[in-house]
Amino acid sequence: MGHAPKSITLGEEHRAGPEIRALGSKASVVGVSGVALAAILSFGGFLGGSPEHFFKSWLFAFLTILTICMGSLFFVMIQHATKAGWSASIRRMAEHVTSNLQWIWILFLPFFFLVLVGDGGKVWHWMDPAHVDPIIEGKAGFLNVPFWTVRAVIYFVVFFAASKFFVGTSVAQDASGDPRLTLKMQKWVPGFIVLFALSLTFAAFDWAMSLEAHWFSTMFGVNLLAMSFCGFFSLFCVMTFVVQRQGKMLNEVTQEHWQDMGKLLFGLGIVFHAYIGFSQYMLIWYANIPEETTWYLARVAGPWAPWMWFLVFGHFFVPFVLLLTKHTKRCKPVMTAIAVWMLLAHAVDVYLLIMPTVPAEALANASDWADFAAGARSGSIDVGYQPQLTDLLLLIGFFGFLVSGICRSMTKAPLVAARDPRISEALAFENM
Amino acid sequence: MVLAMSSIDTNTVWEIPGERAPLVDNHDSLSTVTSEVLQAAESPKPPLGWYIALSVSSLLASMFGLMIGYLFFTGVGVWGNANPVMWGFPIVNFVFWVGIGHAGTLISAILFLFRQKWRTAINRFAEAMTIFAVVCAGTFPGIHVGRVWLAYWLFPIPNQMEMWPQFRSPLLWDVFAVSTYFTVSLLFWYLGMVPDLATMRDRANTKLKALGYGLFSLGWRGSTRHWHRYERAYLLLAALATPLVLSVHSVVSFDFAVSQLPGWHTTIFPPYFVAGAVFGGFAMVVTLAVPARQIWGLKNFITMRHLENMNKVILLTGSIVGYAYSMEFFIAWYSQAPYESFVFVNRATGQHAWAYWIMIFCNVVSPQLFWFRKCRTSIPIMMFVVMCVNVGMWFERFVIVLSLEQDFLPSSWAYFTPSWVDWAMLVGSFGLFFTLFLLFIRFLPVIAIAEVKTVMPEADPHDPRGGALEHHDDHDDSGKEQTA
Repeated sequence: MGHAPKSITLGEEHRAGPEIRALGSKASVVGVSGVALAAILSFGGFLGGSPEHFFKSWLFAFLTILTICMGSLFFVMIQHATKAGWSASIRRMAEHVTSNLQWIWILFLPFFFLVLVGDGGKVWHWMDPAHVDPIIEGKAGFLNVPFWTVRAVIYFVVFFAASKFFVGTSVAQDASGDPRLTLKMQKWVPGFIVLFALSLTFAAFDWAMSLEAHWFSTMFGVNLLAMSFCGFFSLFCVMTFVVQRQGKMLNEVTQEHWQDMGKLLFGLGIVFHAYIGFSQYMLIWYANIPEETTWYLARVAGPWAPWMWFLVFGHFFVPFVLLLTKHTKRCKPVMTAIAVWMLLAHAVDVYLLIMPTVPAEALANASDWADFAAGARSGSIDVGYQPQLTDLLLLIGFFGFLVSGICRSMTKAPLVAARDPRISEALAFENM
Repeated sequence: MVLAMSSIDTNTVWEIPGERAPLVDNHDSLSTVTSEVLQAAESPKPPLGWYIALSVSSLLASMFGLMIGYLFFTGVGVWGNANPVMWGFPIVNFVFWVGIGHAGTLISAILFLFRQKWRTAINRFAEAMTIFAVVCAGTFPGIHVGRVWLAYWLFPIPNQMEMWPQFRSPLLWDVFAVSTYFTVSLLFWYLGMVPDLATMRDRANTKLKALGYGLFSLGWRGSTRHWHRYERAYLLLAALATPLVLSVHSVVSFDFAVSQLPGWHTTIFPPYFVAGAVFGGFAMVVTLAVPARQIWGLKNFITMRHLENMNKVILLTGSIVGYAYSMEFFIAWYSQAPYESFVFVNRATGQHAWAYWIMIFCNVVSPQLFWFRKCRTSIPIMMFVVMCVNVGMWFERFVIVLSLEQDFLPSSWAYFTPSWVDWAMLVGSFGLFFTLFLLFIRFLPVIAIAEVKTVMPEADPHDPRGGALEHHDDHDDSGKEQTA
């Protein structure tokens, strides 16, 4: 690797310009107006909006961007854990996403507020005393409001601390160039990975799985991790494209890196995700135990079915075929187009995780599959199928917040970890 | 920066960020690599230890054969299998050996795709180990079909009676998954060995050797065109083998997880089994690598850094396994399904609680030692841990299978007792495994010679030792051009 320089001399092409700043401001405006509009619709009762739907929709939008940020944290940590050289020049871009974990808890405050005023049952039915039955009562040691709140605080503390540590230390290295900072991150990263894995798993249980408090799946945490991969690696490609369009980072993120970003999206975001999703679905379908099938019945028997099919083809088969060849992965516009598509698929994936509801009583009374499916399609059985403008507004709004957060982070620190000791390896990196 | 590689012992597991410690120690040229690696296969007489080990293991392998004969002549009643534990040791041993067979392809395929260059020193014998482990694994379901003369019914062969296997059974999927895995692993192993076989052919000192190695080296002459095709094929096989690493043990997990049995039916089984398999497989690689590098003087290739890396993988996969155990336990309670909770509490406190706690100690507790570099780099400690893992991973499958012991009908509850044939077969399968492995060490290149050479500085055209002109790097002030 002798031919690449040992470090990068920071120039204009490594710093966010006025375009990024402008994009950040625009994105904040989009964020605020999206949320405001959604709130008006929901609390004013326009277009079928309701406060209940608003909060659930909020949870969907929140988890969509939270998974992306968690995916970025995971990526950054893995680079340190494996002492990766190839990624040293692109890691900072990921860190700009990770840094959002320092403020993302703010978007969760409405839920804390909701729970505080005793209205948590609007989103998580087990919090509503009227819904408590012997099974939920049996879970009270875990599913109770105080413990749930404490756990949520712990997750955010872990995310905050990890983000602060890895982004902060990396940025500090820009100034000092001290390789000991790299060693420091290497030293602490395994511990952070353990904390991260547990936080992600239980956050998945608390916020998504407990939406149907009866239902359970040991795979659920892994599933959310797989979703995080997809969300993050898609966004990674898109944001890199945007930055490079402004003539920045052209020498640091090469076609070789693009190919590898594509491989990661392909391998982890698409194939691994499908593997986990398929395993969970297949095992539940095959054993056909009523306690478990309910969750999927609500998703495959009624109006949600086309959405599930969309995931099968849009989240797996089509991108799988497209990304098999290296030619798509090495072509930035094509790769970016696929990544935009995958971001959409990711949002649908989260939407299907959060929005459908299991009509326990109707399932118990239904005579057969066709009976249930017909009822769900006609609307006489409620499977939570109410796609609303609110969902889209909140999704766009939250993406606005995320983009503005990324842009703000980019204006604070360079776009590349210029003095990372492995930067020369990254610059000289070749796939073939 | 004043830190410099040159001031540091190269056999250290330390690596200063920005520098990469050499993967092969104490080598100034490529020429000695071949002779050092082939020493085990080319020396006129193997060490006495090899003869002793081969005698013991082939004796045990013969016992395995004898037991199989006894089984065939007498029937499956010779095993401890009895209602409700209708498959005891045979399935435990099957899953155990398939698991061992995971590390090889993981190292050769997945680590290859991840560009982990250190894999070159260990991939060859890890792959060999994979193949031998799958041979042992395949034996158990093969002889557990009751009427062995109809074992070919496992395969969907068209016949006049229109008798087809049950395609909805995961046991049949196993037939496909394991045989595909075996085929691809074998191809991968063999393909990677072709250049080295040619090397052995060229160095052969007897006609027989020249003929044998010549036959299997497929006329390899090392031309650029050969290399070009070889590398393409290698990459393709790596890409094909990668999903197989996941699929084969996922399908094995389906044997249990598609059922409706508490303790078996749980959605995390596929990735948990895969992680467990990699865990057990790596432990076996370390188990074999440590004595092998000692006896045949391979310490320059399988350095402490290699061992440390493997121990890190063991820590990681062991933690994933621990995570899966905890998730199972937690969800068993969370589900509030009384049977599910019963099974898990029973595992920990019931009549086979000792097996459960052996499993927990070996698989979850003992690898925690690997959080400390001192333990990762200490031969006695790592041998202790990997031995624990070898035992623990066998017990994991034992614990899972023994969930059958107390089924839905309390009147059939019993204490599962393996028969002496069960034990003899378990020990015998180890005999078969080690026999094959010892023969491999004696007759084939234990380390991928050609591949190891590619990760040495002499193969790097940008390195002065690889023929590059001394370059002038303004920033290079770290004394990078150390000699290894």
